[in-house]
Amino acid sequence: MNDIFIDVDFAQIYKNGQKIGGDVFLQSRNPLGNQIVCTLSDGLGSGVKANVLATLTAHMAHKLSFSPMNLVRSAKIIMDTLPVCKERKISYSTFTIADVRYPSFEDIEVQLIEYDNPPVLRFNGIQPVEWERNRIELDREGAFKEEVVFQSQVRLSVGDRLVMFTDGVTQSGMGISLPLGWRGGGVRQFILDTVAVQPTISSHDLSQAIVRKAYSLDGLASRDDITCAVVSVRRPRRTLVVTGPPFTEEGDEALGERVKTFEGRKIVSGGTTALIVARLFGKKVKVDLSSWSPEVPPSSTLEGVDLVTEGMLTLSKVASVLEKKTPSSALPNDAVRKFLTILMESDQVSFIVGTKINEAHQDPNIPVEIGIRRTIVGRIRNALEKNYLKDTSLEYV
Amino acid sequence: MKREKIQVRICVGTACFVQGGADLLLYGDFLNPDMLGECEIEGTSCLGGCKQAESTGLKAPFVEINGKIYGSVTQERFIQLLGEAMHA
Repeated sequence: MNDIFIDVDFAQIYKNGQKIGGDVFLQSRNPLGNQIVCTLSDGLGSGVKANVLATLTAHMAHKLSFSPMNLVRSAKIIMDTLPVCKERKISYSTFTIADVRYPSFEDIEVQLIEYDNPPVLRFNGIQPVEWERNRIELDREGAFKEEVVFQSQVRLSVGDRLVMFTDGVTQSGMGISLPLGWRGGGVRQFILDTVAVQPTISSHDLSQAIVRKAYSLDGLASRDDITCAVVSVRRPRRTLVVTGPPFTEEGDEALGERVKTFEGRKIVSGGTTALIVARLFGKKVKVDLSSWSPEVPPSSTLEGVDLVTEGMLTLSKVASVLEKKTPSSALPNDAVRKFLTILMESDQVSFIVGTKINEAHQDPNIPVEIGIRRTIVGRIRNALEKNYLKDTSLEYV
Repeated sequence: MKREKIQVRICVGTACFVQGGADLLLYGDFLNPDMLGECEIEGTSCLGGCKQAESTGLKAPFVEINGKIYGSVTQERFIQLLGEAMHA
């Protein structure tokens, strides 16, 4: 797997009292074409109307960036298509498009298009980076104001970040905690402070931190939709999941060696597997009776391994929470929650699946959920790739 | 004179957990505090009882008390076994 990972994630809080947002963020990956397109759009007003405008804008911008069409023409098409607001008699919504293309990971180029959103911020580590933007006037017929689109190109390498957000972020706290709101400069300073403390912070955590800060500036009652998205280029965080004893006993040693030498986090799922690893490490497995729930047996601790869990019950529960996209904060404090947290904090997950059959599971009294290990691992991989855009690999021993 | 604590290991392997072992992990709720104070309870991965089920005739869930393995342990039986171990 690759040595470089392009991490894209966003966080969002709707305007206080709204169940639907007027900010829409879309991202999609086209791994064959080595392209990632991210679109952030803010619709006029809030609630359903704004959501319709923003969704339309984001989807159009998204589709158009995958096509070879000229960007000025794309922008005009978007604005001509938007429905007109009944109250304000205008059709309007802002957008930012980041079209990331990477023929190779040494050559990551972002085509950036900004229309009326707060300017995108760029950082290299803890250093803010400025760059040239081309100003393009649209001169559209029926425009109610001067329409200016900024277009630019930036090259990214390891340690670089792009941060985009809507005006809900820059205007947060306006008139409450800050006379003019947080403003771009305030957001930039906050990012610098956050990154200085945690240089390897993930896009997920950074976007969450920014959104939560804006929310608190607004006095915990957001006055506009608050959305922030982060694109960062960094070394991948890797996790190894080992489950099931190897088919032959000779395989044990090799498995132990793999676990020992793996660089990243390690999860061992399955009692017998844990005993094998513990024997090879010369360490003891200790069951942690404080973390379990009626559906999931307790997790254990083993020196040299980040998490030890029971096998099939835990894995099948992990598969179903991944498929349902349940956040780990909604789960009881058990092995599944710990498992999920580690998976969420990884970019590349490698599975090593032992194919030995467990005699204890051949008893007809055992529930059917304890299915076939391979099927369950297949479900986990599928959900990780589809729902969470993680890279996975699988190997049988 | 201080007595040795009773060493108790509850199997939390998959087979035991789904067949009643989970109920035993609530020991904090159903054992009386005096009894609880006399025991050193820990979880353990498979005790191996399920693999010898045919020869011993014992069924899951398994519990090991002072080195001896017992099968088909319910909450009531668990209390009874610990009571026996205390007065042994």
